[in-house]
Amino acid sequence: MIKPSHEPHSNLIKFTMLLAGAVFLLMMIIGLVMRAAQGDLIEIDPAIFYQLMTAHGAGMVGAASLTGAAIMWYFVSRYVSLVKEVFVVFLTLFLFGVLFILGSISLGQFGAGWTFLFPLPAISGGAWETGAAAAFIIGLILIGVGFLLMNLEVGRKLISAFDGIGGALAWPVITGEVTPDDAPPPAIVASMATIIFNTIGIVVGAAVLVSSLIDLYVPAFEVDALLAKNMIYFFGHVFINATIYMAVVAVYEIIPEYTVKPWKTSRIFAIAWSAILLFVMAVYPHHLLQDTVMPVWALIMGQIVSYLSGIPLLTVTAFSLCVYLRGSKIKWDLASALLVLGVAGWSVGVVPAIIDGMISVNKIMHNTQWVPGHFHIYLLLGEVAMSFGFMAYLIKEAKSSEFQMIDKTAFGVYLAGGIGFTLMFLVSGAMSVPRRWAVHAEEWLLQDRIATVFGLLVIVGALIFVARYIIGISTYRRT
Amino acid sequence: MQLYVLALSLSLMCFVSLFFISAVMASENEKTLSSPEEKRIKYIWAMFFIGIVVTFSSLWQYPHTISKSVHAQAINVTGAQWYWEIDKEKVLLNKPVVFNVHTSDVNHGMGVLDSDGKLIFQTQAMPGYVNRIEHVFTKPGEYKVICLEFCGVSHHDMITEFQVVEKVVAKKENKND
Repeated sequence: MIKPSHEPHSNLIKFTMLLAGAVFLLMMIIGLVMRAAQGDLIEIDPAIFYQLMTAHGAGMVGAASLTGAAIMWYFVSRYVSLVKEVFVVFLTLFLFGVLFILGSISLGQFGAGWTFLFPLPAISGGAWETGAAAAFIIGLILIGVGFLLMNLEVGRKLISAFDGIGGALAWPVITGEVTPDDAPPPAIVASMATIIFNTIGIVVGAAVLVSSLIDLYVPAFEVDALLAKNMIYFFGHVFINATIYMAVVAVYEIIPEYTVKPWKTSRIFAIAWSAILLFVMAVYPHHLLQDTVMPVWALIMGQIVSYLSGIPLLTVTAFSLCVYLRGSKIKWDLASALLVLGVAGWSVGVVPAIIDGMISVNKIMHNTQWVPGHFHIYLLLGEVAMSFGFMAYLIKEAKSSEFQMIDKTAFGVYLAGGIGFTLMFLVSGAMSVPRRWAVHAEEWLLQDRIATVFGLLVIVGALIFVARYIIGISTYRRT
Repeated sequence: MQLYVLALSLSLMCFVSLFFISAVMASENEKTLSSPEEKRIKYIWAMFFIGIVVTFSSLWQYPHTISKSVHAQAINVTGAQWYWEIDKEKVLLNKPVVFNVHTSDVNHGMGVLDSDGKLIFQTQAMPGYVNRIEHVFTKPGEYKVICLEFCGVSHHDMITEFQVVEKVVAKKENKND
C-alpha cells in the first residue's frame, strides 16, 4: 500500500481548524437563539430572525466546507506535494467572501436564506436593498473561486501522481489490474471523486450566481426560474455533500493509526466511490419533487438515486468501519470516538433523508421541520463531529492519548444534546410544523423549547472541544 | 401517514445505530466478524431488493397524476409577497380538485393543512410556471393554505383558508329576460 511520504501543512491547517471551530460555535449560538425565538422564550423581530437564519445557514455551510477542505488538504498533502500558497489564497478568498456575506447581512439586512433562491434576492419586499443582495452573491462567488483553485491544485497533483483520474479513482483495482496492496489509499480515492463533483457543482453555482447578480442590476436580463432552481439545488446539494465526503477522509486516515491495521482500497470500495461520484450529481432533483412542471423522469430519477445513494454509504463506508472496529482493540479517546460518531451520525441521518426522497412522502414532509431534522443529524452528528474529531487528533498522539474524564463528559453532553435537538426537528416535521418560520403557533412551542435545552447541551460540548483544542495547539506540536 | 413515517424512520435509525453500538462494544473482543465480504454482498442485494419493491409500490400510481375526470374542479391559486389569492372559497367533497398554482413574484410553497393542522399535500409556486396538483378531499371543513417556501420577511404570515363542503349553493341572480 502506498505510504505517506510528505510532511503535511500542519500549522496552516491548525489555524484553519481554529477559525472553523470558532465559526461553528458562533453559528450554534445563533441556531440556539433561533430555536429559543421559535419557542417564544425570547422575542426577536422576524426580519432579524431571517437575517440570523441566513447567517446561520451560510456560516454553517461555510465552516463545514472549510473543515472538509482542511481535512482533505492535510491528508492529501501527506501523499503528494501540494503548493501551500494555493491554500493560503483559498483561505484569503474565503475570508473576504465571509466579510462580504457578514456585511450584506449586518449592514444591508439581507435575509434571503443561504440558498439565495432566484428571484428572492432581487425581490425583497422592501427588506433589503439591491447592494446588500449583490454583496451576498459576490461573497459566495469569492468563496467559490477559492474552492475552485484549491480543488484544481489537489486534482492536478492527484492526476499526475496516480496515472490520471482513473488511476486516482482506483479503477485498475476494479478491473483487477492492480491489487489492493498497490492501490491508491482510500483518502486519495475519496478526494479525487469529491474534487470532480465539487468542481462541477461550483462551476454550475458560479453560473447561476453571476446570472442572479446581473439580473439584480439589469432586470431585462431574464433568468428562467426553473433553470435557476435546478442549478441552485444542484450546486447546493453537491457542495454540502462534498463537505462530508471530504471530512470522511479523516476517518480513513486516522482510525488505522489507532488500530494499527491498514484501511485498504478494495474493489468494492473503488466501485462505491465511482458510484458516489455519479449519484451525488444525479440525485439533486429530489429537492424539486414538489415542482410538478419538472419532467416526470427527473423526479422519478431523484427518488431512485436518493435511495441508491444510501447503498455505498451504508454497505461500504459504514459497514467497513463496523467490521474494522470489531476485535480491533482500538484505543478510544476524543478523536477516535468523534470520528466513529461522525460516520454513525451520517449513516443514521440518511435514513429520514431517503424516506423524504420518496415523492409520496415528500408531498407531506417537504419544507417541514423534517428537513432540518435529517440534515442536522448528518451535519451536527456527522460532518461536525468528524471535524471536531480531526481537531482532537491534531493536538494528540494516538499512541499516548487517553480518554480523559473531561473529554468523555464533553462527548456525552454533545451526543445527548445532538440526539435530543435533532429528534425534536423530526417530531415537529411529523406534526407538519413548517421550516423557516420566525413565528410558531402555540401548539408547536413544546418541541421548540425542548430543542432549545438540547441545543444548549450541544453548545456546552462544542465549547469544551474548542477550548481543549485551543489549549492543545499551544502545547502540542504534531508534524 | 406522518406518524407512520416517523415510526418507520426512528425504527430504521435505531437499527443503524445498534449496528454501530455493537461494533464499538465488540472492539475489545478477540473475535472479528466472520466472512464480512459475504455479509456485505448480502446487505447490498437486500438493499437493492427492498429498493425495487419500494420504488414500484410507491411509483405505480405516480403521486402527481392529474386525472382527466370531467367532474374535476379547477382552482387558481396565486402566491405573492405575502398573501394568497384563491379564485374559489368553497370546493366540493369527494370530487377531484385541480389546483393551478402561480406566483406573481418569487417562489412560494402552497401547503394545505386540514382542520387538525396536518399537512395533506403541497406544491411549489414558481415564477413563469404553473404547477398543477390534484387532491380529493374526503373530510368537510376549513382548510388552511400556508407558505412552505421561504419568501421573505412575512413568509410565516402567508396564510389563507378555504372550505370543503358537501354542496355548493349557487348565489341567486336576478334575471330580467
